[in-house]
Amino acid sequence: MKCKLCKREKTEKELCLFHKRAYEKIVEVYAEWVDALNINWEDYLSEIEKNSLTGKWAKEVIEFVKESRVNL
Amino acid sequence: MQNVTLIITEKPEAAKRIALALDFDGAPKNKTEKGITYYLIKREVPIIVVPALGHLYTVTNQKKEKYNYPVFNFNWAPRDIVERKTYRIRYCIDIISKLSKKAEIFIDACDYDIEGSIIGYTILKYACKNKEEIAHRMKYSTLAKEEIIRAYNEVSPHLDFSIIEAGLTRHEVDWLYGINLSRALTIIAKKHSNHYTTLSTGRVQGPTLNFLETREINRKIFVPTPYWQIKAKVKIGKALFEAEYKKGIIKKNRVLKNIITNCAGKNCVIERIEKAKRHLTSPFPFYLGSLQREAYKLFKITPAQTAKIAQRLYLEALISYPRTSSQKLPVSIGYRTIIKKLQKNPEYEKLTAELLSKRFLKPNEGPKNDSAHPAIFPTGNTTDRSLKITEKKTLDLIIKRFLAVFSDDAIIQETAISISINNNLFAIKGTRTAEKGWTRFYQPYFKFKNNVLPTVINNQKVRLIKLIPEKKFTRPPFRFNPSSLLKKMEKENIGTKATRSGIVQTLEKRKYICGEKIIVSELGFEVSEILREYCPSIVSIDLTRKLEERMEKIKEGKEKREKVIKDTIELLMKTTKILKTKEKIIGARLNNAVKKTLNNRIEVGYCSSCKNGKLVILRSKKTGKRFVGCTNYFEGVCKTAYPLPQKGVIKPNVQSCKSCGCPTIKVSIRGKRIWNLCLDPKCSSKFKGKKNEMQIV
Ligand SMILES: [Zn+2]
Repeated sequence: MKCKLCKREKTEKELCLFHKRAYEKIVEVYAEWVDALNINWEDYLSEIEKNSLTGKWAKEVIEFVKESRVNL
Repeated sequence: MQNVTLIITEKPEAAKRIALALDFDGAPKNKTEKGITYYLIKREVPIIVVPALGHLYTVTNQKKEKYNYPVFNFNWAPRDIVERKTYRIRYCIDIISKLSKKAEIFIDACDYDIEGSIIGYTILKYACKNKEEIAHRMKYSTLAKEEIIRAYNEVSPHLDFSIIEAGLTRHEVDWLYGINLSRALTIIAKKHSNHYTTLSTGRVQGPTLNFLETREINRKIFVPTPYWQIKAKVKIGKALFEAEYKKGIIKKNRVLKNIITNCAGKNCVIERIEKAKRHLTSPFPFYLGSLQREAYKLFKITPAQTAKIAQRLYLEALISYPRTSSQKLPVSIGYRTIIKKLQKNPEYEKLTAELLSKRFLKPNEGPKNDSAHPAIFPTGNTTDRSLKITEKKTLDLIIKRFLAVFSDDAIIQETAISISINNNLFAIKGTRTAEKGWTRFYQPYFKFKNNVLPTVINNQKVRLIKLIPEKKFTRPPFRFNPSSLLKKMEKENIGTKATRSGIVQTLEKRKYICGEKIIVSELGFEVSEILREYCPSIVSIDLTRKLEERMEKIKEGKEKREKVIKDTIELLMKTTKILKTKEKIIGARLNNAVKKTLNNRIEVGYCSSCKNGKLVILRSKKTGKRFVGCTNYFEGVCKTAYPLPQKGVIKPNVQSCKSCGCPTIKVSIRGKRIWNLCLDPKCSSKFKGKKNEMQIV
């Protein structure tokens, strides 16, 4: 089975190893955003989505999480 | 002739220098055969000096099993048998063989390091027919006359066999890794796609690509975090200053808001004035790595170029041997003599005079050591040739660094004024050079900005103009550039000082990486991933590090070459076995990545023959020449191709040719006018006006 975001083989659930790592990073950094701004998950995703410093794979994951509303 | 001494050097330029230095009249006779010049020297005994052209022998596959892996049978053979277009190597071997028959005494005068030792050893063993046991070794660090004569008079009675043993091991191990893994990748990719791409990896290439890939991954998954900085704009006397919040960055928005509320409308008082003197000790002398980094930082000369430039300067006896990892300058190099020689150049007259007036000269040496060579230093010699601009810059840098090394500390006066606003502390920092010390010797390469603060007293009130809060984000890790990658390789102890910059070039050539700020291509990603998945030990730094340790042990006579080779073969047997069983899946992945990377090539327009292919710039596997081809070629559909100029930078134009409708390109060669060119060599535009030029609409 392929990753939902790229053609790589997926590991578990929906994503390949790289996109999974991007997802984990998003979750990990959310704690820091809560600490800094007391922000909710949806707003956080919008903020990092429009931030030019966010990496390519992280952005692809954000879009995917928002669209599918799948809880990974 | 009787009792002839044959001196073998690594390069033609070194042969010439040695011949000039050793000949009693300073005018040796020379003979040129098939483009190779050697020298006949008048001295107590007749001497012939003959050059090599770097490595004349290389490791190769014993039975030419070309399209197969694994391969474990190897031997050393003349390079002209193994590589294409190396006929000069053949001439060189022939001439050395011929001259060796007349000689009774043999001296290896190749560069005194591992590579030089291997070059000398293989020539003595193979071209001179087993003379390695009786040969002597000349060891020198510069090609200056006095040093050459000293090295000749103090010639070592025999070769350094432990260094040679370690060097042979390195070459053989690297060959085994390179050939087996590169062949495996190339063969697998070829089996599963309809075109041929050379893929490669190796003991050093693998881990290096792995660093780059890891960095790229960390950039791609990066998520920034917000933080804040706050400054207080204050007026002291008539001048405005921005004082920084003393506690540094603020991670919580709530904290920032508190600070702003706390400071609003409150008094602003100078709480403390701190002064300190900071000593900046003079820099260490250059070794190859630090010279490469400095040249990149200051002049944007790539590490590979710097290595070449330094090698040329060395061959002209302007600097000492550059492939060193030492930060030491022993007294024996003659500090004063060198500085006196440099004094003859008006540019260094004043600075050198100052150093010469010192009673003692002591260099500020660094911790790194190299048993074969000292740090890089200028010889003080001059050349009649007018140096290229990059050579001039590099030489000036080396000379000034050498002078700075002997100079005193620079002293910086630092002042910090703390300002309290309702117990929130802000600070203004000032710096002033109290003693310029060595920095005067290192101009314009050391820049220091003075920031002088006004005179203030404790409890003095100042005016707060406003608070400036600033929202910022953490940044993704930087991409490596050629210089920072070299530093990383050096830190991880992979590769050698002589080979590191070449590895980066190979990765570029294989299209694994591109750009000044290094980006890993789709292909680079996939190769690195495949290696990590199926042969993790190959890309781990651990393997290479252990091997370096064993190589050191061989040098000390505590480890056997045969054992290291045997272990390497065992590991590669296991690895290639795994690769064989996974060929299909690896092949599909490589094929995909190759295609993607090919699609990222520079497009110059659409193909007018097949109508749906794209014309892209390619390079011929056979000749290495670039040309334009249709992407449908890879599908076996279209064979359209156009030749390209081989020099200059090519950029596609938007407009096509008004005469024939074919895509056009812009060609720019440094120092020449940029011109537009229609791809079709038969286009009528070529025959109007100047050759090969055309007008676009
Ligand atoms: Zn994916």
